[in-house]
Amino acid sequence: MITLKNICKNYDKEVVLKNINLNIKKGSFTALVGESGSGKTTLLSILSTLLKANSGEIIFENQNYNSIKNIDKFRQKNIGFVFQFHYLINYLSVKENILLANEKASLEEINNLLSLLDISKLTNSYPNEISGGQRQRVAIARALINNPRVVFADEPTGNLDSKNSLNVFNIFKKLSKEGVTIIVATHDKSLAKLADNVVEVKDGQL
Amino acid sequence: MAYAFKAIKANRLKTSLIILSLVFSISSIFLITSISNGIVSMYSSMLKSDGDIIITQKNISDTFFSNVNINLIKRIKTLNEVTKTSAIIVAASIVGDLPIVAVYGVSKNRFENYKLIKGSYPKQNEVLLGKSIYENLKNKNEVLISNNKYKVSGVFQSDIGFENGGVVLNISDASIIFNKSASMIMVNSKIDTDIEKLISKINLLDKNIEAKSTNSFVDNYNQFEIIKTSSNVISFISFCMGLLTIASILSITINQRKSEFGIKRALGISMNKIVLQIINESLILGVFSFIIALGISSLVLYFIKNSSFLHGYVNGEISFEIAIFILFTTLAISILGSIIPALNASKTDPMVLIQGDRI
Repeated sequence: MITLKNICKNYDKEVVLKNINLNIKKGSFTALVGESGSGKTTLLSILSTLLKANSGEIIFENQNYNSIKNIDKFRQKNIGFVFQFHYLINYLSVKENILLANEKASLEEINNLLSLLDISKLTNSYPNEISGGQRQRVAIARALINNPRVVFADEPTGNLDSKNSLNVFNIFKKLSKEGVTIIVATHDKSLAKLADNVVEVKDGQL
Repeated sequence: MAYAFKAIKANRLKTSLIILSLVFSISSIFLITSISNGIVSMYSSMLKSDGDIIITQKNISDTFFSNVNINLIKRIKTLNEVTKTSAIIVAASIVGDLPIVAVYGVSKNRFENYKLIKGSYPKQNEVLLGKSIYENLKNKNEVLISNNKYKVSGVFQSDIGFENGGVVLNISDASIIFNKSASMIMVNSKIDTDIEKLISKINLLDKNIEAKSTNSFVDNYNQFEIIKTSSNVISFISFCMGLLTIASILSITINQRKSEFGIKRALGISMNKIVLQIINESLILGVFSFIIALGISSLVLYFIKNSSFLHGYVNGEISFEIAIFILFTTLAISILGSIIPALNASKTDPMVLIQGDRI
């Protein structure tokens, strides 16, 4: 589904990624693991179009990232994001936060997603009224409302306790079984074991 | 639009600051425009009610400095097209215990312009007082003008606000006080008269005078130009202040909402949509501030109009045209002031979400 060929990235003179080659299969659950500063977040950012590589190619279902003209539309159509911090907008309800990603989504679609994530009663709640684990699930619902082909998650359990962390990874596992490609950057190797593939990033190399 | 309302509500402190500063800016535009228009309109009405042609001394900057020989009236009357002539001295002086009051020395045939509400029109050494000044004078029986005592013959009321704050007396008495013959001579002509031809004829009568049609005089009157220019300059400064305030406070707000715009960018919401959201928020604040400013300005103008302290000199009403003009000005402030912050918001790099601790 996604193929990386000789991806290199450097910030000024500091080399962050060196000749990365990787192939990610459709519907797989991939965990990028590595120590802090290893380059896993940079790799995830490049994969998710948030950052551009200095050299190399990324092919997303026969489409080269370098040839995408409208990156906003591409993201909206194909990609879902989950970050370490939920980044829910506090003045919007759970439903409205989800609608941000797809304003055409029906209430039924939102309710189905919230049920899938076991937070069906929170539709009209506000982010400051719910727990950290629930917020992260809402963030996952927001990432999924567009029916993206791939969901990228950067340290999604970084702010959660072990029980909620496990719940989030189980949700990803469940989603991948339903055909959604999941790519997660995490430093937690025990959680990473739940993924189909574990890719270790060390000193900018795989 | 509903999200814009929610965003405004969520940022209450900064929203209040924007509204407060906009209300000040818009109110000052309202007040300065209405008051200057009011002054111009009152003086114009006074002049326009007096005739088709106004004669002043040639090459003077203001009617206050004009001195026209009143005997010219006799020669003007000989012209066939002329139906009526009148003369006026426009001046200002200490009157009784009031430091500065407009004094109108007028020919007798001009008394009918002042609607009596008490007493009679003035004879020699008598004055007719405007309603406002009458109410403010301690001694209501006689007044002292330039060390001369004048008996109060009556009180008048005029639709032209600042006339109510003035003193009317015979032009011969005013001539002695201000040492001039007449400030202006006004001429009425027969219907269908070619005004320009008549003006040429009048100008030939005396090389020291300048005759103009009343409309032309009003349109080119220096003092009106000064008032209008000052009003425009002050309005422009208020406009800029409003603009800068919106731009600076919105910039701060947007900087604090970086993660919100970052997540929108990451979710694929287009830059145009983000720009539109910020402009919408700013427009809502603009319209809200306009409504408050309209209310405050109307109230202030009402108190100014009815203040005995100002003797009716300062007057202003918010016409429909002024309200519409200022509404568009407000919308322009809101849009222009929000463009730079909106563009900055739309350019938020979603990478700020990855670098979470730096937001």
